[in-house]
Amino acid sequence: MADTIDAYSIQNWLESCPQSYLENTEYGHAAGEKEPDFFLQNEVLLEETIKATVQLVVGERCALSASSGLINAAPDEASRRFLATQTLDEARHVEVFTQRLYDLGVRKKDLEGTIQRYANPNLVKFAEVLLEKIDRKDFISGVVGQNIVLEGMAFSVFEMMYAMNESVNPKFAHTLSGTIADERRHVGFGENRIGSLIREHPEKRGEVEQMQKEMSYFMLATFADAFRNNRTVDELEAAGIERPHSQYQGVDLGVMAPEDMEQVLADTVLKEFKTRLGRIGIEYQTPTRP
Amino acid sequence: MVDPLESSDDDPVQRRRFLLEDTGFDEVPARYRRFYRKWRGAGDQLAPNEAICPVCKVVIRSSRELWPGDRLYCMPCMSRLVVVEATDGRLEAHVSY
Amino acid sequence: MGAAAGREIHDLEHERFLEEVHSFEFWFQSVEGYLAGTTYGHRTETADESPTGAVERQRLITVLSNYCIGEMAALEGASGLIAIAPNQLTKIFLSTQVADEGRHLEVLLHRMRELGVKHPAQEADRRASRSLKQFRAELLKLVQGRDWEAAIFAQNVILESLEFAVFRAHAEGADAITKEVLEGIIKDERRHIGFGENELGRRLHGAPHIRTRLTRVREELDHLVLSMLEDSSREIGVPPDQQGELARSYLQSVERLGFT
Ligand SMILES: [Fe+2]
Ligand SMILES: [Fe+2]
Ligand SMILES: [Fe+2]
Ligand SMILES: [Fe+2]
Ligand SMILES: [Zn+2]
Repeated sequence: MADTIDAYSIQNWLESCPQSYLENTEYGHAAGEKEPDFFLQNEVLLEETIKATVQLVVGERCALSASSGLINAAPDEASRRFLATQTLDEARHVEVFTQRLYDLGVRKKDLEGTIQRYANPNLVKFAEVLLEKIDRKDFISGVVGQNIVLEGMAFSVFEMMYAMNESVNPKFAHTLSGTIADERRHVGFGENRIGSLIREHPEKRGEVEQMQKEMSYFMLATFADAFRNNRTVDELEAAGIERPHSQYQGVDLGVMAPEDMEQVLADTVLKEFKTRLGRIGIEYQTPTRP
Repeated sequence: MVDPLESSDDDPVQRRRFLLEDTGFDEVPARYRRFYRKWRGAGDQLAPNEAICPVCKVVIRSSRELWPGDRLYCMPCMSRLVVVEATDGRLEAHVSY
Repeated sequence: MGAAAGREIHDLEHERFLEEVHSFEFWFQSVEGYLAGTTYGHRTETADESPTGAVERQRLITVLSNYCIGEMAALEGASGLIAIAPNQLTKIFLSTQVADEGRHLEVLLHRMRELGVKHPAQEADRRASRSLKQFRAELLKLVQGRDWEAAIFAQNVILESLEFAVFRAHAEGADAITKEVLEGIIKDERRHIGFGENELGRRLHGAPHIRTRLTRVREELDHLVLSMLEDSSREIGVPPDQQGELARSYLQSVERLGFT
């Protein structure tokens, strides 16, 4: 037990973030790093980048509401303290992605309007399914929904984005890598803490599985919208710019059509869900494909 | 809002300037530390460019001599303050919401 | 961040100032200054001069128990407030407060463990005063009732200025480790009480009718606060003639908001 307390302590958080990978960063990246000019000057690329960043803010806002809401539902004091650090991590994610919107030229007074205009309705529904559980102070469903489903999705999305940005946009890649480091802890907590709780409450299984299925559906629908209605690839082609040959899950994203990228991402996330849920004793439910 | 500090630059002759140095105050980001110091208790004295924050009791410092009406920010407790002259003629900082 | 770096800080626009101090970045660089090099709230090399007499030791454990429950209340309160906070910046500030309160709880529980308590969380619950527990319940009711002003008033003004006064008084005469732990907490609490007072001050200014509701909240909580103050003064050994001083610093913050 002593180990568990230490790993989820704020002391551990302090040693892992401020005193290591976040040291000397500003909004998650090194001072002075900028978004590449090419993206800022191309109207289409800029709008697509803003649109994608809005989804990140929406997802992180959901995680912030969920993790803070879970504190008062947590059955034990160590979980509360862990969730306190997660709340702070999520607030940081909201802040760094919001700052990216500002860096992309969104004016502060237009922030909410921009988010409303571009937020994907399926992502909003995805969040609602989770937040409804949190509202009812349902700790088990809440942690599975947040730390396994939402975070599992975020984790894979961030990794794919990281691969695509690493060589062309170091600033954003750095922001992402810090975020990924945080999410690792969150996903880890979800599995470790909830595994034992599920064993103690087998009656919760059905409800949790139903939630996973619903959330997965809205996630796939979000991916579909995001990749199929994306003009980035065409625009780069029109401008005669070769896409970077980023490696992700053993494929070269630089030569793939958007639909194929969507497929790779969806498969990766669903496979992750299946393994993680299996480890905590939840049977993965295949969602309907939108 | 009219910024009293802006208008003060018209008469630089009367307002004394102070060079602020780091005092070891460690509760705000490094680049703001010179604007604050700890109150050292009985025996400590405020310089003409200093005022005590009534909310958190930290000493706030400015690079200019303080005059009534000046605005100050206390970063450790995030308050906005205004310098006022107390009945005994001393300067005090009051919270301005 | 950092637009203000080279300038006189007091020249900033108020809105810009609030943006700066309510951000994660500000919190992060602030705590880095005073938490770097500490483990569980104190430097490892600090000599342990904990009271050796059984009576004093037990008394310190009881005091810390009360602090733990107070911090637990603050953790629950601050996290619950995120859901009803009026905007993103306030939510982000409250998230930093959540982490602070979690840290306070953690270092205090750890201090109890250092003093030989095996199950500090249970022990804290067993020893904490009844008025404090009742206050915690009342605070949670306000948060769950989604009453932003009343909950901020109860938590960031009443509870925190009380803690602030008590911790400061206690730190003066405490053993070296407890003193360091408390001093670190006080630095965090500065942000919290400042946030509460300024947030409410602005709201009262813009909508004076809130005052009536808050006056009622205060009346309901006052007897709990006074009995909490009495208990703490006794336990941390504040001489009776100085107890008024403790009450005064609590009352001052309420008075600055116009409550007499
Ligand atoms: Fe996140
Ligand atoms: Fe997360
Ligand atoms: Fe606290
Ligand atoms: Fe606090
Ligand atoms: Zn202050």
